[in-house]
Amino acid sequence: MKKTGLVSLLVVAGGFFLLCPFFLNAYVLRILTNIFMFAVITQALNIIAGYTGYPAFGNVVFFGLGAYGTGIMMVKFQLPFVGSMLVGSLLCVLFTAVFGLPLLRLRGHYFAIATLGLNEATRAVVDNLTNLTGGGMGLSLPLPYGTVQANTRFFYYLLLGTSVLSLLFSAVLIKSRFGFALRTIRSNEESAEGFGINTVRHKILSWMISALLTGMAGCIYAYWMSYIEPSAVFDMTISIKSFVMLLLGGTGTLLGPILGAFFVEGLSLLTWSYLLNYHIGILGILIMAVVIFSPRGFIAFLKDRLLFAGDPFTLKNREPASGRRPER
Amino acid sequence: MLGLQVIINGILSGGLYAVVAIGFSLIWGVMNLINLAHGSMIILGAYITYLITDKTGLDPFLTLPVSGLILFSVGFLTQKFLINRIIQASVFMTLILTFGLDLLFINMNLSLFTADLRSITTSYAGLGWKFGDLAIPYTRSGVFVFALILTLGLFLFMERTRLGKAIKATSFDREAAGLVGVNVSRVYALTFGLGAGMAGMAGSLISVVYSFSPVVGATFTMKSFVVVVLGGLGSIPGAIIGGLILGIAENIASVALEAGYKDAISFILLVGILVFRPRGILGKKFYAEVKES
Repeated sequence: MKKTGLVSLLVVAGGFFLLCPFFLNAYVLRILTNIFMFAVITQALNIIAGYTGYPAFGNVVFFGLGAYGTGIMMVKFQLPFVGSMLVGSLLCVLFTAVFGLPLLRLRGHYFAIATLGLNEATRAVVDNLTNLTGGGMGLSLPLPYGTVQANTRFFYYLLLGTSVLSLLFSAVLIKSRFGFALRTIRSNEESAEGFGINTVRHKILSWMISALLTGMAGCIYAYWMSYIEPSAVFDMTISIKSFVMLLLGGTGTLLGPILGAFFVEGLSLLTWSYLLNYHIGILGILIMAVVIFSPRGFIAFLKDRLLFAGDPFTLKNREPASGRRPER
Repeated sequence: MLGLQVIINGILSGGLYAVVAIGFSLIWGVMNLINLAHGSMIILGAYITYLITDKTGLDPFLTLPVSGLILFSVGFLTQKFLINRIIQASVFMTLILTFGLDLLFINMNLSLFTADLRSITTSYAGLGWKFGDLAIPYTRSGVFVFALILTLGLFLFMERTRLGKAIKATSFDREAAGLVGVNVSRVYALTFGLGAGMAGMAGSLISVVYSFSPVVGATFTMKSFVVVVLGGLGSIPGAIIGGLILGIAENIASVALEAGYKDAISFILLVGILVFRPRGILGKKFYAEVKES
């Protein structure tokens, strides 16, 4: 019963968002598009950090690589967008194949910092390959054809579709044997190995999936903005923001990333529009308040009390989002 | 001759990197807390020095105690009233909390001091010793000497005083330290205060040799990461060694490769050390690590 209720709620929400472009103006559509983009990035982060338990703090590196892969293909090789996006996403998967093996040996903090270092090193290299990437001057992509209205709708539907795709993909993933193996690795890597799970292969594969989804968001972003620069697409704030979204929405849950994206982006939008000079500080205070007063996340709190008590999509045996509860 | 000059430049910036990272290392080593607001605290220290020298014409080196004391109080109160509430929760909660703190500091600096790039010019800026082709500027050597004094001071404090020993004891085993009468939450507040105070004084030193603005703090947080990983968590001699390695490697890289690759080198160093020697060069097991394994 609960399950059908939730699915029908999702279908209604999906239908609502499908119809949005017919009655909302371009500004609101753009905001929603941005939220969908963050939903994809956070859903991707959830796969490696939430299900597998590896806090990939520098996951934004795939966003940047995807964006630059697409940009370079479109500008230097005159490939169409779809082809460039394919190359950009594949680049991210290849990158994980190379760096996954050494980095995934590390755990906890050390893995987090290593991915952060990977992002900064990649950014510096992209910054310096001026012939190929335009360096600090950035890279201007060919403008999409069509009117402004048509493009706004195009990117709206594209990112809505990608976020639905990432949701469905995660839903299939966590129910599969592979998903169970990932969660076993999160709870205890040694015993996972004891059960005969090839932990190295599973970890690399799950990071590849995460990289692919993040990269796709980056590819679309590049074409959408039609201008990219290293400091914008390798920006650690994107990573930290999606971590905040994931923690607020609930790690290791399906809907958490989407709810988190809506909540955090909505919050920063409100502070942007009403308190421009203080919006960074207010956002900071709000983040701190949520962490202090509701360590399991604001949305987890709402979810337990009001929305989806006994939600079948939530993993039954998941740890509380905050790990250990405070002793005092 | 160029080679020697590069090494000297590396050593001079290495000393500064050590003092930049030391507060970060202390806080991380003792409390298993990664302070993402570290860079902003450094910048706050730099602005305090800027403000004092601008208004009174005092030598920037003389402002060190002021920035140190102000930042110590800020750090102490932050830990006491904010971070201590969730220090036992998962690492990511504290990470997010200090990120929020970082945003708050950046906004505060922006509205107090604007986004303009500032720098301090002393009367002896640009002067220095000359040995043949070698040049050693006064400001940079002054910064180096002060960096060493501060680091040594912290080292002596940790080794020789009761309070320092209490901090070390807490870092090895929080529960056991509590059992022998150490007030853990007060030690935590003091540790964060010390770390922030060191950050403030590092900021005063930075203001003499670099130009700064409210948004460049993240660079120093990143450098601290590299130094701590190189030298080992919570180790003071390690911070000096890590700082020197980073300083020399960066300077060699900017001569041997293009100057832009300087940052890439430091992060390649970071990832390499993590993969091949995860405990750093001088790292020992600290509380944080004992708990993790």
